Amino acid sequence: MTTSMEKPSEPREPELGKPSGGPGKAAPAPSPRALTRARRRQAVVRFWQQYRTHRAGLVGLAVLAVIALLALTAPLLVGAGSQSVTDAPGGPMEAPSGEFPLGTDQFGRSLLALMLWGTRVSLTVGLLAAFLSVAIGTLVGITAGHFKGWYATVVMRVTDWFLVMPTLVLAIALATVLSRSVWTTILAIGVTTWPTTARLVRAQTLSVESRPYIERSRALGGGHGHIMSRHVLPNVMPLVLAQTTLVISTAILTEATLAFLGLSDPTIVSWGGLLQDAREAGAVSSGNWWYLAPPGLAIAVVALAFTLCGRAIESVLNPKLGVSR
Amino acid sequence: MVTRVPHRSLRPRRRLRLLLASGAAALALAAGSVVPGNPLAPAPTEARADDGTTTLTVAVAQSVDSLSPFLAQRLVSTSIHRLMYDYLTNYDAKDNKAIPGLATAWEPSADKLTWTYTIRSDSTWSDGRQATAEDAAWTFNTMMTDEGAATSNGSFVGNFEEVTAPSKDKLVIKLKKPQATMTALDVPIVPKHIWEKAGDFSKFNNDKDFPIVGNGPFILTDYKVDSYVKLKANKDFWRGSPKFDELVFRYYKDQDAAVAALRKGEVSFVAGSPSLTPAQSASLENAPDIKVNDAPGRRFFALAVNPGARTKDGQKFGDGHPALLDQKVRHALFMAVDRKTIIDKVFQGHAVEGEGYIPPRFGDYFWKPSDGQKLAHDPAKASALLDEAGYRKNSAGKRVGKDGKPLDFRILCHATDPNDKAIGKYLQEWWGDQGIGLKVDCLDNVSDPWYAGEYDLAFDGWSVNPDPDFVLSIHTCAALPAKAKETAATDNFICDKRYDELYKKQLAEYDPAKRADLVKQLESRLYDTGYMNVMAYPNAVEAYRTDHIASITTMPSAAGNIYGQDGYWSWWSAVPAAGASSSGSSDSGSSSTGVLVGIGIAVVVLAGGGLLFAMRRRSTAEDRE
Amino acid sequence: MSSESTPALVKGAAGVESAASGGPAPAGPSARSPRSRSAAGYARYAAGKLAGAAVSLFAVLVTSFFLFRLIPGDPVKQMTGGRQVSTEQIAAMRREFGLDLPLWQQFTQYCGKALTGDFGTSYQFRAPVVDKIAEALPATLLLTGTAFVIYTLLGIWLGARSAWRNGSAGDRANTALALTLYSVPSFWLGLLLIITLSVGVGPIPGLFPTGGMESGDTAGFDRVLDIAHHMVLPVVTLVAVEYARTLLVMRSSLLDEMGGDYLTTARAKGLRDDLVRRKHAVPNAMLPTVTLLFVNLGTTVAGAILVETVFSWPGLGGLFYQALSVPDLPLVQALFFVFASAVILMNTLADVIYPLLDPRVGR
Repeated sequence: MTTSMEKPSEPREPELGKPSGGPGKAAPAPSPRALTRARRRQAVVRFWQQYRTHRAGLVGLAVLAVIALLALTAPLLVGAGSQSVTDAPGGPMEAPSGEFPLGTDQFGRSLLALMLWGTRVSLTVGLLAAFLSVAIGTLVGITAGHFKGWYATVVMRVTDWFLVMPTLVLAIALATVLSRSVWTTILAIGVTTWPTTARLVRAQTLSVESRPYIERSRALGGGHGHIMSRHVLPNVMPLVLAQTTLVISTAILTEATLAFLGLSDPTIVSWGGLLQDAREAGAVSSGNWWYLAPPGLAIAVVALAFTLCGRAIESVLNPKLGVSR
Repeated sequence: MVTRVPHRSLRPRRRLRLLLASGAAALALAAGSVVPGNPLAPAPTEARADDGTTTLTVAVAQSVDSLSPFLAQRLVSTSIHRLMYDYLTNYDAKDNKAIPGLATAWEPSADKLTWTYTIRSDSTWSDGRQATAEDAAWTFNTMMTDEGAATSNGSFVGNFEEVTAPSKDKLVIKLKKPQATMTALDVPIVPKHIWEKAGDFSKFNNDKDFPIVGNGPFILTDYKVDSYVKLKANKDFWRGSPKFDELVFRYYKDQDAAVAALRKGEVSFVAGSPSLTPAQSASLENAPDIKVNDAPGRRFFALAVNPGARTKDGQKFGDGHPALLDQKVRHALFMAVDRKTIIDKVFQGHAVEGEGYIPPRFGDYFWKPSDGQKLAHDPAKASALLDEAGYRKNSAGKRVGKDGKPLDFRILCHATDPNDKAIGKYLQEWWGDQGIGLKVDCLDNVSDPWYAGEYDLAFDGWSVNPDPDFVLSIHTCAALPAKAKETAATDNFICDKRYDELYKKQLAEYDPAKRADLVKQLESRLYDTGYMNVMAYPNAVEAYRTDHIASITTMPSAAGNIYGQDGYWSWWSAVPAAGASSSGSSDSGSSSTGVLVGIGIAVVVLAGGGLLFAMRRRSTAEDRE
Repeated sequence: MSSESTPALVKGAAGVESAASGGPAPAGPSARSPRSRSAAGYARYAAGKLAGAAVSLFAVLVTSFFLFRLIPGDPVKQMTGGRQVSTEQIAAMRREFGLDLPLWQQFTQYCGKALTGDFGTSYQFRAPVVDKIAEALPATLLLTGTAFVIYTLLGIWLGARSAWRNGSAGDRANTALALTLYSVPSFWLGLLLIITLSVGVGPIPGLFPTGGMESGDTAGFDRVLDIAHHMVLPVVTLVAVEYARTLLVMRSSLLDEMGGDYLTTARAKGLRDDLVRRKHAVPNAMLPTVTLLFVNLGTTVAGAILVETVFSWPGLGGLFYQALSVPDLPLVQALFFVFASAVILMNTLADVIYPLLDPRVGR
C-alpha cells in the first residue's frame, strides 16, 4: 500500500467507453444516448475479446465464478443448522472422514460446512471493503484532479500522508479502537487502502481533462458536476474496475489477518476466524493440519484469482505492461 | 532440557549444526552487525561446566513486568519472586495451611491487634549477610511510606499501624483493625542493605546487577527480556537445596510453539496460559516420555450479572438491563445453562462443574448448594420462571416484557479467552431457545464498559488464594466506587447487607473452623442472589517430560498444579530424571535432528545449484539460437 | 507483508516517475515541471522533500497521540490486572503516569518530550519506552534485514530472468509462483512451516526451533549459529510472501527497457545476448526497482508483526501487538511512530537519492 508506485503518467487512451473526439453531439439520426449506449456495448465486447486472450485472467474468473456460486448456495448446500454449536453432529476435532470431508472443529461442527459459510463472510467483507476503498479513492481522485488549486494541494497532502502510514498497523489500530464487528473490519480496510486509487484516478482525471472535448463541454455551459460525472467518471471507470479487482484481494487478505489477530467479530464464521479458532484450539501443535490448511488455501486461492483477473484487466487496458498471456 | 551429560558429547552435535546451519548463518551475517560475538572465534565457549549440570527449562509466555517485588504484578513475575525471596510464611503443599517461611512462629495478642513473628536465624542472603527481622520491618515500612513501593502489594499493609523489629529475630506488626489474613502476607522480604540504595522505587526494576541478592531457593543470575530468565540453585537454602542446578524460564509467545518445544525436548515443562487446550493435552497424552498433569484448578469461571451499577453513596449509573434486577430472571437464565455440556464440550472434561464460589481444591472453604437451593439445569423450569416474571413468548417466539419490548441482553467477553467465545456461542443458542436474544460483546479490554456499568452479563473468573478474603471482599458494598465509572475494587457492583455483615464477621474471626463456617454462609448467600453464577472450575492442564523430571511436587500434593503455585514447591522439589540413558537418548535425538538438518540443507543447496546450472546452460543454449 | 496491497505491486511497473510519487510532496503530472539540473536545483528539491517528511512525521506524532486515546480501557485497571489494589494506589498510579491531567495538557507534554526523544514510561514494564524499543529493535532489524536482502536479490534475479524470456514457460511458471505465494497469508504459511518443519510430520522430525530467537545456553560463534538456526523459518516466510513485489517490478521495468532502441543497436553491433542484458538492460531497469527497495525496507519492518507473532520473535511487532492489548499507550504510540517514520524516512530517502541515480530525471 505504502509503496506509491504507479504509472499514470502518459495520458494513455483507455480502451473502454472512449469518447473519441469524432461523433459527439453533432451526430445525426439516432439519439446521442442510444449512440453512446451502442458504443459502450461495442467497447465491452472488444474488451471481452481481448480479456479472453489472457489465460490466467480466464482461470481467475472461472475460479471466482465457482466460489461465488458456492457462497450463494451455501444455505442450500449445508443448511443454516451447520453453524449451531448445540446441535453439532460430530466429536471435537475429528480427522477427515466420509461424514466430515474436512474433519470437525472443536465443537464438532463440520469444517466443510463452516468453510462454505466462511466464503460468504470473506467475500462480502472483501467486496464491501474494496468498494469502500475504491469509492473513497475515486471521489478524492476525481475531485482533486478536477478542482486544482488549494483544494487539490490539501487533499493530495492528506493522500500522501495516508500513503506512508503502515497499512496493517493502522488497520490493527482502528480495529482495536472500534467495537468488534464486520463493519469495523470493512471500515478499517476501506479507510486505510484508498490512497493508491486516489492517486491513479487523479492522474487519469488530469489527462482526461486536458483533452479538447472537455474544453468544449465547459464552453457549452457544463458545470463541475456535469464534467466530473458525465465525462471524467466514464473515462476513469476502466481504471477503477481494474483497481477494485486488485483491492479486493488485498481486502480479503487483510480481513483474514485481522480475524487471525482476534480483531474481528468472533461470533461470525470467516476464513480468517477459522484460522484463529484453529490456533486457539491448539491445532498447530496437535498436528491437526486438516483444520489449518483449508481456510488458508481458500484465502490464497481467492486472493490469487482476484489478482489474476485484475492483472488481465490491466493488461487489456495497457498492453504495454506485457503481462504474459 | 536436562543435560546431565558431560560437555564433550555435545560437541559433535554442535559441530554438525555448525556445518548445517552455516547457510542460515550466512543470512545472519548478511544482515550485519547485530549479532554480537566474533564469528571467527575458534571453539564454542559454553557457560556449562564439564561436570553434568542439570537444568530445568520451563516454557513461559507472559512477559515479566518488573523484577522488583514492589512493582511486579503478573503471575510470572510473582512466581519468580517466590523463588528469589523468602516470605514470612509459606503454604503447606498438602493442605494450604500456613507453615513457617522466614518466620518460624507467629502469635496474635489478646486484643487481636498486635502480631509478633519470630524470624529464623539460618536464612542468609546470597551475599553472605544474615536475613533478619530488620529486613522484614524495612520492607513493610517502605511499602507503608513510599507510594512507589506500594504499587504491587500495598493492599497488604493498608491496615498496618506500625511495624518494628525490636531484635534480630522479632518482628512486631500493630494493626488498626483485626485482620485474619496475617499468616497469608504474600510479600517478598528484600535485603535492606541492597535496597536502601535503590533510589526511586517506582522506577527501579531490579534487573541490572546479576546475580540478584536473595534468600529464596533459587538465585536469579540472568534475564533477557522476552528471551529467558535464568536462576541457579541456592545451595545454602535453609529448607535444603533444590535438586536441579539451574532453572530457566524460556519464552514461547505462542502456546503451540511451547508445546512443540516440549515434544522435542527443548523444554521440560509447559503450563500454557492459562492451560493447555483439550486438543493439545490429548495429543501430548499419546506422546512418549511426556506426562500430562490435569489437576483441579484454583480458578472459577462464572456468569456475572450487572445488579445495577452504583456508587458507595447509592448514586446509580451504567445501563444494565432492568429485567436482571428480578431474581427470577437471573435464576431462569442460569437454569437454562447446561453446565454439563460446557464441561464436556468446551472444556472437554478438563474442568469440574461449578457449585459454590470457592473451588473444591480449597476443601476448608468449599461449599455446595443444598438440593432445594440448587439452580440445576432445567429449561422447562426456566421457562416457567420467565413466564412468572412477566416475560411471555410472543407469536414470533420472542420473550417480551410488559412494555412490549423484547428481552435482549449483552454479555461482555474477553476476546483473548477462547472459552468465553465458545460459551458465548452456546449461551446464544440456549437462551435463544428460551426466546431471549444475546449479543456477545468480545473486547480485548473489558474493563471500560465493566467499570462504567455498561453491560448486562459478563464472563467472570478469579484465581482463588488459599486465603479467600480477597475474592470475598470484592463483593462488599465497601468495594463500590466512590464516584460513578471510577475504577474500584468491586467485581460486579454487588452490594448486599446480609453479605456484608457476614464478611465483617469472618475477617475478625481468628478461629479457622468458625471462620470457614462463616465463609460458607457467605457463599450460600452469594449463590442465592443469582448475581454470581459459577459455571465451572477449569482444571490446570500442564505437561512435563518424564525423561527430564523424575518427580515433582504438585500443590495440593495429592492432585494439584505445578505452575503458579502459592509456594515454591514444584521447582524446589523437582528431581532430575536419573540416568544418562534418558538424557543421552534425547541428546542423540537432537543430534540426529542435526544430521537431518544438514542433509536437508545440503539437498536444498545442491538442488538449487543444479537448477541454477541447468537454467544457465539452457539460457545460453537459447541465447545462441 | 501479504496484506500490503497488490495494486502497489502491479502499479509498481513504474516508469521513471515512481520516485516522484513516492514522497509526501504533491507530485503528480501537473506538479512535475522540468527544473534545472543544477546543484542548486537539486538542493532545493531535496530540501523540499525533507521538509515534507518533517511535516509528515509531525502529523504521525499527532495521530499516534489521538488515535490511541480512543482505545477503550483504563490502563491503570489493566496494569493492576485484577490483583488486589486500593483506590489510593490507583489514584497514585494515575498521578504517576500523568493520566489525571486534562487531555490537551497530556498532549503538549507528549509532543514536548517526544521532540527530545523521550516517549514516556511504559505502563506495563515501568521502564522508559525508548529502552524497551531499543531492546526489541535489534531482533526486528536482524529478521527483516536478512529477509530484505534475500528477497531483494531473489526478486531482482528472477524478475530479470522472467522479463528476458517474456512469455516463455519459465516466465509463466515464475510469475505464477510469485503471485501464488504473494496471495498466501504470511501467518498461515508460518504456521504450516512450524507444523511441517518444526513439530515434524510423520517420519520427518522437527528440524528447526519452534520459536524465539535463541536458546540462551550458547555463547560466541555457537550463539551466532543458534540465532541463525532460529531465523530460518521466519526468514523463509517473509521472503516467500515478499519477493513477488520486487520480481514483478523488476520484470516490467526490464520489459520497458527491452523496447529501447539502444538494445537493438547493441545487438546489431554483434554483442552476445546475455551480455546485452547484463551490461545494458538490467542496470537501467534497476532504477525503478531501487526506489521500490527503499519503500520495501520501510514496510517490511511494520509488516513483520504477523511473522514475529507466529514465531515468538522478540521484536517490535510482537511488542506492538502485546502493548495494544493492555493498552500500554506510551509504548503503542511510540511504536506506531517508529513504524510510520520508517516508511516516511525510506520514501524520502528514495526521493532524494533517485535523481542522483538517474540522470534522465530532469529535475
